Amino acid sequence: MTISRRRFTTALGASLTLPALIGRASAQGATMKIGMCAPVTGPAAESGRYAQIGAKLAVDAVNKAGGVLGKQVELIVEDDQTTNPGIVLAFSKLASQTDIVAFLGSIRSTQLHAMSPDALKVGKPVMIGGTDPALTHMGNQWYFRFRPNDSYSGKVIADYGVNTLGKKKWAIVHSTDAFGTAGGKALADALSKINGASVALDQGYSNQSQDFTPVVLAIKQSGADILGSYFTFENDLGVFARQLRQLGVTIPYVGSPSIVNITALKLAGPALYGTFGVADYAEDSSAGSKAFGKIYREVAKVAPDNQSSWTYDAVTVLCMAINKAGKTDPTAIREAILAVRKHPGAEGEYNFDANGDGLHGYNIVRNENGTIVFDKHIESAS
Amino acid sequence: MDIVLQLLFTGLGIGAVYALVALGFVLIFRATNVVNFAQGEFSMVAAYLMVVFAVDLHWPYGWAFLASLTGMALLGAIFNLGVYYPLRNRTFLPVIIATIGASIFLANTVLALYGPQPQVLSGWFETPGIQVGPVYLDSQYLLIMGVTLVLVGFNFWFFEHTMLGKKLQATSQDKEMASLLGIPVAAMIMLTFVYSALLGGVAGILVAPILFVSIQMGSTIALKAFAATIIGGFGDVKGAIIGGLALGVIETFGAAYISVPYKDGFAFLVLVAFLIFRPQGIFGERVAEKA
Repeated sequence: MTISRRRFTTALGASLTLPALIGRASAQGATMKIGMCAPVTGPAAESGRYAQIGAKLAVDAVNKAGGVLGKQVELIVEDDQTTNPGIVLAFSKLASQTDIVAFLGSIRSTQLHAMSPDALKVGKPVMIGGTDPALTHMGNQWYFRFRPNDSYSGKVIADYGVNTLGKKKWAIVHSTDAFGTAGGKALADALSKINGASVALDQGYSNQSQDFTPVVLAIKQSGADILGSYFTFENDLGVFARQLRQLGVTIPYVGSPSIVNITALKLAGPALYGTFGVADYAEDSSAGSKAFGKIYREVAKVAPDNQSSWTYDAVTVLCMAINKAGKTDPTAIREAILAVRKHPGAEGEYNFDANGDGLHGYNIVRNENGTIVFDKHIESAS
Repeated sequence: MDIVLQLLFTGLGIGAVYALVALGFVLIFRATNVVNFAQGEFSMVAAYLMVVFAVDLHWPYGWAFLASLTGMALLGAIFNLGVYYPLRNRTFLPVIIATIGASIFLANTVLALYGPQPQVLSGWFETPGIQVGPVYLDSQYLLIMGVTLVLVGFNFWFFEHTMLGKKLQATSQDKEMASLLGIPVAAMIMLTFVYSALLGGVAGILVAPILFVSIQMGSTIALKAFAATIIGGFGDVKGAIIGGLALGVIETFGAAYISVPYKDGFAFLVLVAFLIFRPQGIFGERVAEKA
């Protein structure tokens, strides 16, 4: 059989265009796919489970209401192993599926920094829960944050400690990862702007420490009358809180959101009674928070916390934005997310700014014998 | 001075945990000439067994402890038959890789069976600790130190004053000669794995009320315990104990007086220094290549 020039050209054209056509057909498949990087294994596997439950609850609600652009939403989860290499691998696996329209990243800032270059290359919206302020201020237009960033938490912790509790000499304890370092710096910066407030101790620690005796003794020696902290892992917070009480440190303690998450409360038990925390999610803070708490408890059988509330809001807002954009073009979705105003989510009211930050304030809660009680909401501008 | 005493107590407490796990490393190394990288996972599995018996099934602590150790003895035997025995005639490298594989298998099996949630295991005493002057003595750390001391004494008595201990020593020194003398080498190695699993298990159960029970707890401790065995002298029981205690004290004081974030760095800095200047460790003897 001879191959004519016309046949050859047709075959070549078909072989070049077919994969693209197949890819497009798959992108226009039966479901609207959202990729999610979650810690299925590793130290944060438990909170990863909560994050998946939150996202799936939102997917179910969206599908029940008719889905997105007439399609049912499907969540594709990849294990990020709670590590930086793990999330880079998980994201690249998800990104290779061209029919995924957007992604959910991590709640951990350090992982989000690691995958940021890939997220930029892929050029599709990534919903994030990491609170390092830099994440939405470093030229990555595809990151959209569904928790208030640490510049707000630092201001709120400082405001509450100084103006409500009346304490001015601070000890700050923070993880040395991206989240903890940024948080500690945000708190120190906020205190430097308050008249009379000072930082007596600014102490970093490395994650997965087995012992905090040196840190606790440093707090005692510093003469601080109030403690602020940014802990990344609940195990560390549990060990620290116990040793704090054992070694007789009883000064008021206002912590970052991890101090009120469900795993930390279980591990630390009475050692965290009487402490305060900034919480992006507080069940009694709004009607949206209460409604989420109700459906989450029915499914997860534990109290809700920010691990699940941010993914719930992220999926809800993303689907809303795609519907509003009317197409899955990444730029159109981006513009639709940035246009979201006064959306009542589980975490609070979303008003996205040009950087991609949706929330701008924090709730203050207190631990009353293991029960988290809402105190008040402080908007950063106030 | 108060601070120094407090740091010393905590350093010795955490060092005793490293020492217990290091002891397991040493015993298996002496018997088989390989490093068992699943030793840390033995601690983790034992802690989870304790959670199952004491927390989930509400058994009395003593019974739960015995049941957990029985489970660990069984695990040690299975580990020997499944990981070491099939590769016993190969070089050390495949065996070491098999132990790494086994450690991943154990961690993921527990994850699949029990889920990712860290668990709380209460301490053995109702009183969490006692205040002696300016120093707070955590009762769990006191128990760990006491148990380490007892086990050191037991090891000495067992290996130096019992026929079984001497047979184990003979097996570890020269398997062929031991075999010629009628010592059942395979049974001795099996016994070593069982004993090492028990030691790792005791360490895991004792440290669980302090560090919580999690999938990662074993690997965190094992890394330091491995460093302790090198510092003390690989293959030397008293070296493992001294190495473990020294490591605990060095990292605690290093964290307090130099830098908290570099706490782990001090331990491994000491390890590197030993590898460069005294690779045989504190108590190890220099081994010359035979002509």
